[in-house]
Amino acid sequence: MEGKNIFRTKFDVASIVLIPACIGINYIGKLFASALKLPLWLDSIGTCLGACLGGPIIGGICGAANNLIYGLTTGDSITLIYALTSLFIGFFVGIMARAGFMKSFPKSLLTALVAGGVAIVISTPLNIVFWGGQTGNVWGDAVFAASQAASLPLWLSSLFDEIIVDVPDKIITLILTFIILKALPDKLTALYDADDEVERLD
Amino acid sequence: MKSISLYRDNGTWLCRVHPFTKLMYIAAAILCPPILGSLWAYAAAIVVDIIILVSAKSLKRAKNLIIFSFTIILTIFIIKGLFDAENATPAFAIGPAVFYKEGLMKALRTGAVIINMLLSFSILVLTSKPEDIADEMERHGFSPRLSYVISSVFSIIPQMMGTMDTITDAQRSRGMETEGSLGKRMKAFIPLITPVVTSSLINTRERAIALEVRGFGGKGKRSYLRTWQKHRGDKAMTISLAILIILASIWRVIVWLI
Repeated sequence: MEGKNIFRTKFDVASIVLIPACIGINYIGKLFASALKLPLWLDSIGTCLGACLGGPIIGGICGAANNLIYGLTTGDSITLIYALTSLFIGFFVGIMARAGFMKSFPKSLLTALVAGGVAIVISTPLNIVFWGGQTGNVWGDAVFAASQAASLPLWLSSLFDEIIVDVPDKIITLILTFIILKALPDKLTALYDADDEVERLD
Repeated sequence: MKSISLYRDNGTWLCRVHPFTKLMYIAAAILCPPILGSLWAYAAAIVVDIIILVSAKSLKRAKNLIIFSFTIILTIFIIKGLFDAENATPAFAIGPAVFYKEGLMKALRTGAVIINMLLSFSILVLTSKPEDIADEMERHGFSPRLSYVISSVFSIIPQMMGTMDTITDAQRSRGMETEGSLGKRMKAFIPLITPVVTSSLINTRERAIALEVRGFGGKGKRSYLRTWQKHRGDKAMTISLAILIILASIWRVIVWLI
């Protein structure tokens, strides 16, 4: 057996079935967040779970497919642009998880910071191109307006806007992912363990 | 169960147009204006979007889709008009707040991009069935796994929403508060979402086994449950839309060269 490869992915039925479940979880997270009137999105719990279970490739697919499907079918076409952000969040969370950064609570906070950083780096240019730098979140846009009024450059204001919105969101998301992962039974997580060895009798 | 898809067959011609033709239209509607660069091109694209939606009797439903964007477009106008870095020529003033022409023009462009995008996508979203899109993609060479993912999302979500209602009722009857201060609502989130997510992940195991037993991973030619009724002019329309995009790009290049 070759050495541990964090990009190793099983493309079996279990992994394919995981993708729509994760996309559904993203949707439920968003729904609960809006039902409880929380000022966060919480729409990437599924992507992070998919990434932790299936690895970076499945995580990336979950993220991109999530935005593409919602964008093309529920009329929220703005999310299409952010497919890129979701893809990279899934990818990097998957890498962190495979590298062992979802094993303990403090480590999962580090993963959250990585996810938040990825979201900021990818989303800020998209926000500038498509929305003139805003995010559509009240708190973030207030910061944007304030820093524009202080005549800071557009990219810096947009960056602040993103940081205010995305970092708390990703921290809560990864904490939830961590709690849920701990609650999952082993017989389920074993399905997605890419490093297991299959013993054949034939 | 309530579907999350916005598709409804209202019997108009647009429902019978092939989803790929609509995708091509979206590509043309979104790409041509920025290639041409003029605000009038955006206006033209928005007018065409509206004409198509009106002829398919779907404008009212499309309106519901774009209405949420009006608040953000309004804030874009306010923030750009007041504070944009390139602001130089005052346009008008409301009390002490002076709006500038440069910022307002930028905001107008951003607003046009957003409205055009939402409208052109609503043409596809309101009149094409997600399962049909998935089927047609598979028939045109995309992986059957991909089309499974797409159509599965639409059956999983109503199911999960059902579980969500059950869990919410159960937790409420145990005395959990779902209203009140932000802290309280935050605390309510974990006991609500964890059971839904855990149960849906556990279900994937059984679904995987069920699919495997039915030959999901099998190779070989597949047959289709539904057949697509061909609509006249689909091919011609798709090709002419592609030509439109190419012509716009050629025009752009010529303008650059001169």
